[in-house]
Amino acid sequence: MARHVIWSGTVSFSLVAIPVQVVRAVESGRVSFRMLHNKDYSPLTRRMFCPKEELIVPPDEIVRGYEIGPDRYILITDEELESVSPERSLTIEIIEFIDIEEVDLIYYDHPYYLVPAKGGEKAYRLLVEVMHRTNKAGLAKFVLGEREYLVAVKSTEGGLVLITLHYSDEILPDEDIFPKEEEIAAEEQSRIKGSINKMLADFNPEQYADARREKIMAFLKKKVKEKVMVQAPEEEKAVGEGPADLIAALEESMRKVKEDR
Amino acid sequence: MAGRATWKGYIHFGSVDVPVKLHTAVKEERIQFNLLHRPDLIKLKQQMVCAYEKVPVPVEEQARGFELEEGKYILVDPEELEQAEPADSRMIEVHEFVKTGQIDPVFLERTYYLEPDVNVKGYNALVGALEEMDVEGICTWTMRKRSYLGSLQARGKILRLHTLRYADEVIPVKSLDLQNFSLSEKELKIGSDLINQLTVPFEPQKFANEHQKKLQKLIDQKGRGEKIAILHPRRLQPTAPDNLLQALEASLKKVA
Amino acid sequence: MSQKVIEIAGKRLPLSNLEKDLYPSYGFTKAHILEYYRRVAEFILPHLQDRALTFKRYPEGVERDFFFEKRCPSHRPAWAKTAEITRDNGERMTVCLVNDLETLMWVENLASLELHVPLARAGSPATPDSVVFDLDPGEPANMLDCARVALILRDLLIPLQLTSYVKTSGQKGLHVFVPLNRKETTFEDTKEFSKAVAEIMQKNYPDLVTAKMAKEYRKAKVFINWSQNDSSSTMICVYSLRARSKPYVSFPLAWRELENLAGQGDPEKLQVIHSEAVRRAEKQGDLFREVLVKKQQLPHL
Repeated sequence: MARHVIWSGTVSFSLVAIPVQVVRAVESGRVSFRMLHNKDYSPLTRRMFCPKEELIVPPDEIVRGYEIGPDRYILITDEELESVSPERSLTIEIIEFIDIEEVDLIYYDHPYYLVPAKGGEKAYRLLVEVMHRTNKAGLAKFVLGEREYLVAVKSTEGGLVLITLHYSDEILPDEDIFPKEEEIAAEEQSRIKGSINKMLADFNPEQYADARREKIMAFLKKKVKEKVMVQAPEEEKAVGEGPADLIAALEESMRKVKEDR
Repeated sequence: MAGRATWKGYIHFGSVDVPVKLHTAVKEERIQFNLLHRPDLIKLKQQMVCAYEKVPVPVEEQARGFELEEGKYILVDPEELEQAEPADSRMIEVHEFVKTGQIDPVFLERTYYLEPDVNVKGYNALVGALEEMDVEGICTWTMRKRSYLGSLQARGKILRLHTLRYADEVIPVKSLDLQNFSLSEKELKIGSDLINQLTVPFEPQKFANEHQKKLQKLIDQKGRGEKIAILHPRRLQPTAPDNLLQALEASLKKVA
Repeated sequence: MSQKVIEIAGKRLPLSNLEKDLYPSYGFTKAHILEYYRRVAEFILPHLQDRALTFKRYPEGVERDFFFEKRCPSHRPAWAKTAEITRDNGERMTVCLVNDLETLMWVENLASLELHVPLARAGSPATPDSVVFDLDPGEPANMLDCARVALILRDLLIPLQLTSYVKTSGQKGLHVFVPLNRKETTFEDTKEFSKAVAEIMQKNYPDLVTAKMAKEYRKAKVFINWSQNDSSSTMICVYSLRARSKPYVSFPLAWRELENLAGQGDPEKLQVIHSEAVRRAEKQGDLFREVLVKKQQLPHL
């Protein structure tokens, strides 16, 4: 199955190195809309635009800068960015393991899956199995793009999931919102426990659907029935992505075919 | 201190009603870069551009569409859409309670702190009940036109709300087509021993965002006109399947 | 049900359920099937040679459940030739190679009515021997529309110095093969080429041809399934039976036949049934032989 690979490199722990790829573990279920030009309904895309020259800027003219003063920048190239933490952009080095239950839920940020790359299948399977047996997760630092993440690598349903974590200094203190009164109404607590008892169950996420998504889809289906649709104009794009001379040869040949018929 | 209160609601189940104020619980620190146009270093703006004509399109000429099939769209009027969206209510409705620890972290999105609003006694009673019974409440609510699924947890003196992903938003591990590999009991035992040897208590404060500091250093260096050394790190040699046991044994020897 | 043991080239092969009618509405038993394959063996074997076989087994006949089998069954005879291949996920698998009559008979005894093979041979799984254009008509388009498309395709390829060969799929469509038989060819090359061709065809004959797989684009058009040019794809082998209500065959046609028949009413005229397949093959030889030996080159390489 063709998967979009976000990153490829190595996961290591002690002297074991496992070639892996990072792929998505979640995808948004939200209904997404496309912005269209209301004149001809051609789809719109976001592009970088230079407000001074008033034109769309091609990627090779775009540079990254850090603002040090009004209109004063320090330019940083991709190479320089990578050189900041070079090892961590190639290797997820697990330096320690922790009991997964000790991790406060507030630390979890974003999950990804790790899949083994060629040659790493056995070592990958081993890590999955032993982390499952011992109920532990690995902690590592990992650089992706401009950012360095603290990550947990854990075993789940026969595979490895990599979850980025927030740094502890990114977790805001909560003392200032503590309840001012400490008093506990024992009777009320008891009543609440009674209600909770009646509502105990096992967590089954399948039961819950995105209500907004459902309402919008129902609304859209209704509009389809009313046949209210617009069509984007035909794109003058190059046929396929075949090399230019192949396309030219085919077009030429097609011209002959049509002439003869 | 906790982030600003961003929303007000009330937790509801059975005959329980506890008003709360939502606060963000996490603030990310990042060095921000700008994207610039190379020749004259003008800050670039993002613009909606017509895909074919490559010209920017002003907001008044933009329409919203839902793509049904390739190239065919249903136009959606923002007002019509509002009608279709669920109405905002202030209720955080709890549907069931599950034992803490049941929710796989892959479902977790964001965490909010809940500050008590008027009924402080009720809030405290709820905190106490959840803690004593060691459960989390699974709830749904609508906030700023989005439908949320979440879990209500007591932590210390306060309540926290974790937003959760919907089941169909999580890609199943099965779809990764991972294959099974037979491992020897010896490999598994040594691997487990190694992990246990390397296990420490979870102390997140040990980890600082060093990259930020290094990035700042890089920026300062460039600012002083210093040359940046481009290092090309080694790529680790993958452990061959036949050498796995050996690597595990050597590792264990190193740490034990 | 009758059993029999036969001997071919000194090897013993037990056959079973010979009287079982596997095409019940037509009347074609296991014995008939074995006989069919025995008679076309000299024509089909070169096309099966050294290719990882995918069985499509109908043990209870064409009206009941079938199953695909890619792995060579562990109960194979000791003399059955096999190869080790590596699947996309890295897993190693043993596959059957049908390189002789006795193995073909053994395979057919397992009621693998249909024989599907990849475009590459087991020894060089990343090297396709041909480019294939799998023409699949979306109702109400039919075989005649496929014939039209196949003829345009043939003419399109001639100025590019490419000769092509056509066979029926035995079901609703046609397969056009362009032999290459060069060890430098990759699936990336053949896929890119076939995609470009399919899209040019779609662009110029939008009411007749589509290059898009999604069902909504295929209604009333002939779909050119260029994505079949893939190391993991298999195609029905030429001369193989099809598991339809009648034992039709995936049979090679002369281009002249398509020219004569295309445009004329009956799409069924292009379909070849088992008895006709045997008769024609014995008379004119293997019309698909060139697909195995002709060396050609894709234009942009």
